[in-house]
Amino acid sequence: MSLVAKYLQPEVVRQIRRLDLRAQCIVKGFFQGLHRSPFHGFSVEFSEHRKYTPGDDPKDIDWIVYAKTEKYYVKKFEAETNITGYLTLDLSRSMGYTYRQEVTKWEYAVSLAAALCYLMIQQQDPVGLFAFDEKVRTSLRPKSKRTQLGDVLSILARAQPTGRTDVAASLTQIAGMLRHASLVMLFSDLLGQPEPILQALYRLRHRGHDVIVFHILDEAEVRFPFDGLVELEEPETGQWVEVDASDFRHAYLEQMEKFRDTLRRECARAKIDYVPLDTSMPFDRALSEYLINRSQRS
Amino acid sequence: MTFLNASLLAGTVLVAVPILLHLLLRRRPRRVEFPAVQFVQERQVPQQRRLRIRHWLLLALRVGVIALLSLGLARPSVIFSGDWALEEEPVAAALIFDTSLRMEYRHENQTRLERAKELGLWLLAELPQQSEVAVLSSRAAPAAFEVDRASARERIRRLEPSADSQPLPAAISRALDLLEQSEKRLREIYIFTDLARAAWPRETLPTLRSQLEKTLGLSVYLVDVGVPEPKDFALGTLELPRQILSSRGTLVVQTHVESIGLAGACTVQLEMEEQDPATGRRRWQKREEKVCQLQPGQAEQVVFRLRGLGTGIHQGQVRIVGGDALPGSDVRYFTIAVKPPWHLLLAAPTAPHLVPSFVTEALAPREFRLTGQARYECRLIPQEELAQSDLAGYAALMLLDPKPLEDALWQKLAGYVADGHGLAICLGRNAQPIDSFLTPAAQSLLPGPLQMQARRPDFDTFLAPADRQHPILAEFRRLSGTVPWDAFPVLCYWQLGQLAKGVNVVVSYSDGRPALLERPVGKGRVLTLTTPLTDDTNHEPWNLLPVGDAWPYLILVNEMAAYLVGAAERQLNYTVGQMVVLQLEGAGGRRSYVVTAPDGMTFTAQTEGAAGPLVLSPPPLPGNYRVQASGSPDGGFSLNLPPEQTRLDRLGPEELNDLLGLRNVRLARSRQEINRHVSLGRVGQELFPLLIALVACLWAAELLVANRFYKDEPKERKGTR
Repeated sequence: MSLVAKYLQPEVVRQIRRLDLRAQCIVKGFFQGLHRSPFHGFSVEFSEHRKYTPGDDPKDIDWIVYAKTEKYYVKKFEAETNITGYLTLDLSRSMGYTYRQEVTKWEYAVSLAAALCYLMIQQQDPVGLFAFDEKVRTSLRPKSKRTQLGDVLSILARAQPTGRTDVAASLTQIAGMLRHASLVMLFSDLLGQPEPILQALYRLRHRGHDVIVFHILDEAEVRFPFDGLVELEEPETGQWVEVDASDFRHAYLEQMEKFRDTLRRECARAKIDYVPLDTSMPFDRALSEYLINRSQRS
Repeated sequence: MTFLNASLLAGTVLVAVPILLHLLLRRRPRRVEFPAVQFVQERQVPQQRRLRIRHWLLLALRVGVIALLSLGLARPSVIFSGDWALEEEPVAAALIFDTSLRMEYRHENQTRLERAKELGLWLLAELPQQSEVAVLSSRAAPAAFEVDRASARERIRRLEPSADSQPLPAAISRALDLLEQSEKRLREIYIFTDLARAAWPRETLPTLRSQLEKTLGLSVYLVDVGVPEPKDFALGTLELPRQILSSRGTLVVQTHVESIGLAGACTVQLEMEEQDPATGRRRWQKREEKVCQLQPGQAEQVVFRLRGLGTGIHQGQVRIVGGDALPGSDVRYFTIAVKPPWHLLLAAPTAPHLVPSFVTEALAPREFRLTGQARYECRLIPQEELAQSDLAGYAALMLLDPKPLEDALWQKLAGYVADGHGLAICLGRNAQPIDSFLTPAAQSLLPGPLQMQARRPDFDTFLAPADRQHPILAEFRRLSGTVPWDAFPVLCYWQLGQLAKGVNVVVSYSDGRPALLERPVGKGRVLTLTTPLTDDTNHEPWNLLPVGDAWPYLILVNEMAAYLVGAAERQLNYTVGQMVVLQLEGAGGRRSYVVTAPDGMTFTAQTEGAAGPLVLSPPPLPGNYRVQASGSPDGGFSLNLPPEQTRLDRLGPEELNDLLGLRNVRLARSRQEINRHVSLGRVGQELFPLLIALVACLWAAELLVANRFYKDEPKERKGTR
């Protein structure tokens, strides 16, 4: 089975092909330009003036303003082009976890990323890739060629979620690597302290990137299906705790809900899309629902 | 605490197993990979504490189950009395039956003794084989183990109520002595009692308690066969002011009727035993009847008066008409002797201050003399005529404030007294000169030498009888505390020197000096009063005894006379258990008598000497006894039950606690209770059921806790793939 067939099954394609991924705020022309001029590159649409500083391209000087004010101002233009999407996947070991032994979080994330990659390529939008654990391990320049999907999946198929993770540091690193405002699609379980992660997301957002957080958890992490006395071992650090799961379920679910609520609330405040998912949810349906919802909001 | 299978206690070492398992081989919880541990850790600390507590709880439950199981299998028992034994181990048992007449109380058509015997026979059959058994009653009989059960059974069957019962502590004491001789390890005393207070005198309980406490291996079972609320009319003690009466006197019989739990009319009859002239047989003749209306707990006095009895011995009974539950309390017997009037000779010098009529009127008041009721025929003579008088016809002689007498007269009087007569010497101001009363002849009758006239002009000296046991003081005994002696002061009296041997002070003055003294001389007695009875109050009297409402004076004079003639101290009525001592008249040296008991049985009895009294060991049967010898008038006496023998009031809770407070004493009322208590006493309280129940509870708790701890593990370990 080819990688595309493995991660992007025909029924999934069928499900999402009629949908699109709309930018919310950064790239206004994303949607409009989706079909009109997908290959125009930079737009010439005026955005704002700023004072000329040495080093600026002299051809950008607005001479009309000079004539009126005798000061040099440079015209800024917003790119009116297709959004560049970056699929940003968490490669940490915890992403390889599955309780039911069916789909790991990683596999779930890859499938989801593949679908989105396909969707964007279909829309002529370039798609790039970052995979990180404690730092960015793999990256792929964004392209909108049809071969890009195969390249992306090829890289993801080779990658194995094995290391420890540092989502915040990785996102900060990625933010530094992005030149233009892009659509950053983060696929992670976000296990760790929420504050640094949120800070990193804010930073991305502050730089003008559109951010979608696909918070992928295992079914067991959401439902805590254990009973009796169990020793829970953290796969990345090897730490374990002994608990009476029956007694603990309620407390755990409370904690988990609190965590997701925090993320949901903070992301909403920063106008970041937060999509909570777990591996028991059919991702194509979850994705469809999200995209429809996003479309309605925009 | 004791154990039936003490070796199984070794099983308690198995408690080490769960401890070792807990410490060494503790079951590990299944390890599961779980990335979201961070959320668990935040809430882990309190839960870990709970977990640790549960671990220890589980360990404690498991240790408890094993410990209790091995303890339970060892069959522990709590022993309340002495040593532990198997239930069928032979015992030394004493069965004590209260056989007092009170046990004749009939309830549900069964006397208490019948009920006791029924339970006793059943209990006898229940005793372990090879047990030693003694059957005791409350009669004072030696205790011994029966040869076999058949003889014990027969002895129980033959038990009869008896009037000479002793309080039960005495029988228990005998039983303890007997059980001490037994080699059996277990000793048991079964007391079949109605728990009447009379059977358990309060003063005996401390001694009994210490005896029971000291005896090792002893269990005491009080089998209560009594009725909680008895109902009965009961007669009290019969009181006879005089047992020797003058034929002119009046028989006074008094008692009281008490109701115990009954309300209504109670008829009481006085019946005299008379001989049927036609058949010659003796029969009861009703003479008087009284009806009392009583409420529960109420008592009423009944007094019968009877006149016109001929001389001789008379026997009678007072009884409650109609039967009730306890016949023993319904009848009281009495015997009286009626004699012709006693002849008294009174000698007094002629003197203006001396009024002999004080004494003669006290002994035979004019009204009585006129109506023929006077008990005494008194003859007053001048002292000067005494020497010529024939004294033989007089039962007693009284010298009233005598002047000095010739030695010959003293000797004559001594002879008269020695023959069995009475002499009273009432000393006064005429007893001068003193020397004439100090002669050996005078001193042979007087209690001691006259020393001086003690004057007490302050009206602060009076007669003060201290010990009222003397027959002369019998009447005053009944009036205890109410005689106003201080209203009759003594202003002067003769102070005596060293008293002669055998002299008894009957009454003293309030200053402690002797007033009335008794001296036995030969068969007779001499009473000496150190102050006169005849002083005229207008002539500087030595005392004011006869002045005013002088009823104590009348009683004193009459009692002195009765004592002198022998009517005061003769006893014809006894209670069961008392030694009977009869001074029979006209014995004439006869030594053998036939005594007829109330049930018609006769036996012979001998006097101690030719003129000695007839002494009978305590006869057991209450009723009237006749004593006969050919050629002499009949004698007789009566025996009554001590009233406490028919008192049905039961021990109060406090007294019962005194008894039952002991750990080895138990109270039972039925066969089931006896069985239970005996089982408790021998084996103790088995803790097995309790322990097994506890084991079950602990086990259930252990399962519950363990199940919550260790749910079934999934067959496949899950985690990161």
